[in-house]
Amino acid sequence: MATIEEYAKQPKDDRMKRLERTADELAAAIKGHGGTELAKRPDEKNWAAVEVVCHLRDVEEAFNGRFQTFLAVDDMKMLPSDVDRWAVDRQYLRCDASEAVDAFRKRRAENLEVLRKLAPEQWQRGGIHAQRGKMSFDDFLSLLCYHDDNHLDQMKRALAGKA
Amino acid sequence: MPFAYYARLTRAQQAVYRKSDGITEVRLTRPAELHPLVGALDSALRTEDRLATQRATDRLIRGLTDALAIPPVNVEVLAARPHAKWGELHGLYTVERGKPPKIQLWMRTAKQKRVVAFRTYMRTLLHEVGHHVDYALLRLADSFHTEGFYKRESSLFYQLVPDARGATPATVRPIEEWATVGVPDRLARLEATPSELARLMRGQSDAALSRRPAPDAWSAKEVVCHLRDAEEHLSGWVRLILAVDDPVLVTAGTAARWAVDRQYARQHAGAAWDAFGRRRDETLALFRGLAPAQWQRSGQHDRRGRMTVDHLLSLMAWHDDNHLDQLRRALDGKP
Repeated sequence: MATIEEYAKQPKDDRMKRLERTADELAAAIKGHGGTELAKRPDEKNWAAVEVVCHLRDVEEAFNGRFQTFLAVDDMKMLPSDVDRWAVDRQYLRCDASEAVDAFRKRRAENLEVLRKLAPEQWQRGGIHAQRGKMSFDDFLSLLCYHDDNHLDQMKRALAGKA
Repeated sequence: MPFAYYARLTRAQQAVYRKSDGITEVRLTRPAELHPLVGALDSALRTEDRLATQRATDRLIRGLTDALAIPPVNVEVLAARPHAKWGELHGLYTVERGKPPKIQLWMRTAKQKRVVAFRTYMRTLLHEVGHHVDYALLRLADSFHTEGFYKRESSLFYQLVPDARGATPATVRPIEEWATVGVPDRLARLEATPSELARLMRGQSDAALSRRPAPDAWSAKEVVCHLRDAEEHLSGWVRLILAVDDPVLVTAGTAARWAVDRQYARQHAGAAWDAFGRRRDETLALFRGLAPAQWQRSGQHDRRGRMTVDHLLSLMAWHDDNHLDQLRRALDGKP
């Protein structure tokens, strides 16, 4: 699995293609699995497959908010999100995984559209991440690629009963 | 689920908290006998006379302590509320060694010096009586603000003011009107919402809570999920304004889209209410910890323009009113 730094060295087009594939990869990964299986956690702490999909869906929406912010103002501080709390509060385990993939697909398409419309100089606009410091659109593109890889892998492991 | 401060309590205190949380009602044997005293208090408050209000308050509280067979409590009604660090004080219950416990109630707002609304006054009165009940009737070693505590307060309120049950406001107060209301009253609006939701949802089946009154109108369950997510969103704006000078305030998605994407219809209404209550508790703690200057910090919203923390509190008070009304209508089958 490529790291964020390795993704950062790849051309933008390759990274964009990585993001374009994810919805289909998620749909393929959950295909044929029943609701019980998709909601089964590999252990107490680690997410079930449906929780991973819901996480990707909600993060995609959060990134849409961040992208709006970067376009409105450069270098604004970003506050961290408590994604573990989202999983509990938003009742991920009660969600339908296929519907969550559909929602993710829509949100991802919107974000890709935002990225495709960026002028070359806008790729360096960004915000101040709580842990990572200054991050530009370009940095976020790499982060999202890694994030997708990481959670696709996590989901496959969850379906195999592995943490 | 307990409120966030539960984690900071000692084990002994947590045991008291759990006991308090588990008791959700204080049942009066003959509440109708106290209704004339409640009516007299309403009339006294309308006269705006402090002594008349003090006498009527004293008689009602004495009626309550007698009905519950617990020791009496001294009552003092004062005029304008004093300013506390976070705003205004509504009421106070104090116990001093060797003296009877004392309840102090303030009948006027601090800034405008207006007489508080009858229901607000009754709520405050019963809140303070609730502390006395905790010690004298329930024999708790401490009197914590638990969900059970608020439910007991509500149970007394609806026995004494039965007309309030199911009452629908003729109109939802607009944001601009909320902006003229003092911070403590707006915080009281926010504080009451989890209990009001619980009262409306209690005894309703999942089918009733999930029923949309019209194809494009939310069910009660969807309203609760929305309040939960809006709480995170709006309190997030407050936190952002406090952390960043003049930030831009954006909304990712829309409320309607959240309902679909996050699959509100599949969720459990009780769990959503619980999550909302915890977030609301945190929001109230955040507001109450603000220094005076922080209320005027602001952010920029693309449609609403400049929004201060104070404005966001008004927005939240209106938002609660609006969705409580919507939830009542959903349960009545009205869009």
